[in-house]
Amino acid sequence: MNSQLTPVQLDRISEKNNRYKKWSFWVQILLLAVLLAAPMMSSFRFMDAAAKIMIFTVVVASYDLILGYTGLLSFAHAMFFGIGAYSIALLSYHSASTHWYHLLLAVVIALAISVLLAMVLAFFSLRTKAIFFAMLSLALADFFHILGITWSDLTLGEDGITFSLPGILNIEWQGVEILGVHFGPRRITYYLILVISISLFLFLLRFVRSPLGRVLKSIRDNEERSIALGFRSFHYQIYSIVFGSAISSLGGILYGLWLRFVDPASVLGVFGMVDYLLMVIIGGLGTLYGSIIGVAFFISTQSWLPDILQTFADLFPDVAIMNRMADRWMAFLGLLFIVAILLFPKGVVGTVRDYLDKRKQ
Amino acid sequence: MSTEEILTQPANPAGVNLKKVAIVCCAVGIWFLPLVWINPVAYAVLTIAGLAFGMMLFMVASGMTIIFGLMDILNMAHGALFAFGAYVGGYWMLNLLEQLGWVEWGTEAQSIGSFLIAIAAGGLAGALLGFLVERIIIRNVYGDHLKQIMITMGVLYLMTEVIKIVWGANPEVVLVPMAFQGSIDVYDVIINKFRIVAIIVGLLIFGGIQLVLLKTKLGLIVRAGVENREAIQVTGYNINRVFTGVFTAGSALAGIGGTMWCVFQQQVFPEIGLENIIFAMIVVIIGGLGSVTGSFLGALIVGLSFNYVAFLLPKLALGVNILIMAIILLIRPWGLLGKE
Amino acid sequence: MSEPILVLNDVHTYIDQHHILQGVSFEVERGNPTVLLGRNGSGKSSTLRAIMGLTPATSGEITFNGDLIHQQKPYDIARMGIGFVAEDKAVFYNLTVEENIRISILKENGESNEKLDQVFDLFPALKKFWKTKAGVLSGGQKQMLAIARALVNDHEMILVDEPSKGLAPIVVEQLGESLLRIKEKTTIILVEQNFYLASKVGERYFILDDGQTVHSGLMEDLRDNSELKKKYLGIG
Repeated sequence: MNSQLTPVQLDRISEKNNRYKKWSFWVQILLLAVLLAAPMMSSFRFMDAAAKIMIFTVVVASYDLILGYTGLLSFAHAMFFGIGAYSIALLSYHSASTHWYHLLLAVVIALAISVLLAMVLAFFSLRTKAIFFAMLSLALADFFHILGITWSDLTLGEDGITFSLPGILNIEWQGVEILGVHFGPRRITYYLILVISISLFLFLLRFVRSPLGRVLKSIRDNEERSIALGFRSFHYQIYSIVFGSAISSLGGILYGLWLRFVDPASVLGVFGMVDYLLMVIIGGLGTLYGSIIGVAFFISTQSWLPDILQTFADLFPDVAIMNRMADRWMAFLGLLFIVAILLFPKGVVGTVRDYLDKRKQ
Repeated sequence: MSTEEILTQPANPAGVNLKKVAIVCCAVGIWFLPLVWINPVAYAVLTIAGLAFGMMLFMVASGMTIIFGLMDILNMAHGALFAFGAYVGGYWMLNLLEQLGWVEWGTEAQSIGSFLIAIAAGGLAGALLGFLVERIIIRNVYGDHLKQIMITMGVLYLMTEVIKIVWGANPEVVLVPMAFQGSIDVYDVIINKFRIVAIIVGLLIFGGIQLVLLKTKLGLIVRAGVENREAIQVTGYNINRVFTGVFTAGSALAGIGGTMWCVFQQQVFPEIGLENIIFAMIVVIIGGLGSVTGSFLGALIVGLSFNYVAFLLPKLALGVNILIMAIILLIRPWGLLGKE
Repeated sequence: MSEPILVLNDVHTYIDQHHILQGVSFEVERGNPTVLLGRNGSGKSSTLRAIMGLTPATSGEITFNGDLIHQQKPYDIARMGIGFVAEDKAVFYNLTVEENIRISILKENGESNEKLDQVFDLFPALKKFWKTKAGVLSGGQKQMLAIARALVNDHEMILVDEPSKGLAPIVVEQLGESLLRIKEKTTIILVEQNFYLASKVGERYFILDDGQTVHSGLMEDLRDNSELKKKYLGIG
């Protein structure tokens, strides 16, 4: 009976049977518990960080699909994210009153635009070398960034758009008491994001473990051999880019839901790509779980590094350059990025995996 | 056939290339096409502005394309070198010289001199930083395109932040040397003086690069190295030294380009590097990776079309570069003069 | 018996994890053209690459003229006096014949002009196509240019990797003549599948198999030893 199953199915069955024995399963349960409990903390900062970690985990994991699993370096991932964020922002802002169908419409529009753009981008760049993909995606992403700044009739330019959401997500909504716990619009939005981002992440996991995901990995490792085996590498690479980019735009919608504010610098900026790259690299390329670690590290660094630097700078109140360095905490992340690529190209999860594999041997 | 005959016949005798002639005719035709919508005087002004813009793009793109051709490195940090050159040469050096009263107030000779010093300072700053970047970072990622692009992008990001630390995050005004201020009037065609300077400097750099590549032994080694890196080593040349040299020279070009650019725009800002690396990349892709003449043509195409379109349809101007790039890549996926 | 100019002693090389050369040892005497024989993948070309330092030996020793060279860089080895004619016509296609030659001359002096005349004497076709791009030359002309590139310097030794590949028999014949004419001054190490050319030029031979030297002797003995030829070279 087993002989009729494909290797992928066998793999999945064995994984299902052994899941309780693995420590990673319990880590996942713990993580879920923390995320569920996060809004119950009194500190808004903590809930905010948890929500951002979830949103960016989806974005970075989908980026890892393109970069780590398919081996294509895209600089347009932030652009797709921005397309998602702007589609919900523009629809909500430009319609007189926001309704639920606007959210649905935003999803449809974001998916449609990002799928189309991703296909065009892939079609143009994959015809030659992979580096063309990097260059073209960078040019395209920059174009959208500039568009976001200059087309101010539509996007309000660099000031960005503040918008309101419908129904129980709206800030004005009073909230309800359930079992003595107050659920306001913030908490509701948080749980909405929790559900969607976890399902998207599971969806991505399912994708990379499917036969399609395996073909992608084989193309990344040896394109010629995969072609010789009968896979049209071009098609598969397009699937990956389109799929990853679409997920990124959904991540952008989640970001819009959470912040109710978008501006070109934060959602379309090309240097945002370096942040994603840093998150992927820290976690480890080709390890979806790594993206959780990478994002968690990045978001928490983003939250406390400025404070630490400022405290440090306060020790030297007379040295102007110290104060300016404290403002530019991103410089330290840039430095970290370079060092990480040079010294730990496999990231946290990759390095741990290597270590475990070695110990097994 | 005797041995001698076989050995003395060329394999493919070269003929007149009709296709090339046709392409050149088409290109010239398209160049004059905007005259249909633009009156001749405006057209002349736009053409000169476009040429100046193109030359400036060429300065950035040429260094990038040589480095790619010889070392197979796509160097995003080129933007960082550009920005650093702009700040050191165009901003810091010109302001320093202004305190001597040379730039905007002194004699004609002093203001020209200050400009030359600024360019030299910008080039030197670019070269110095480029040397360090090559030695410390790029040396470690030879042969891995993805890593190179990522890490050099990281360098660009880091340098942008460092510039903000040193010179502040806001745009700063850049002085224009007095000799190049204002414009001249040739039959109603108003020409900004600095644009002429830009065109001259651009042509000088293009000529200089061609001269070095075609007439010197170093150029010979570089051209041979672009084609086959291993063969140049076993011929007896230290390719690493050539790499460092070429990288430094390319970085100097980026620094000079940065200085020229910020004087042209009369301002400098930290993200100047990112903005220009994208322009340069488009130029390099259009021209064909690794081809200096290609990037010269690409720069002119982008510079001119940007100006014409900005005049006719201002909203479209930003997209036109990407559109041109897409069209050229559809017809020739490896760029105008690139190799397959 | 003259002194050895090149000595390989138990040379090993790796490409990634693959153990390519697994102990190659041989000696080459000055002025004694030597042929490396063996099947495809037996390590002949890899041996030349190890000598040139392109895939550096990870263990073992390579001595050239009494100097250890296995830790030197390719360009230093070239300047010590070893010319390398790589497989597949090692010429620069986008450079003219003149530039191809000019780039090969490491020290320009009166002597190099003399050398140039000798090269023209050897390969008259090169003079005819002096200003032509090397890319448009025929296969045989490219191969001659490649050898000429190695000869314009006072190299004491040249390594030639499969010069006959893809060439018409009549051109191979001519190539063999040219190689014979230079063997007095320059020690030749030839990697060759074409047994005719190998036996015409070579005096000594070494047979490689699975990255090891398994047999050696005089070329004229090998010519008659059909058992050995069948075993390692697959020809009878």
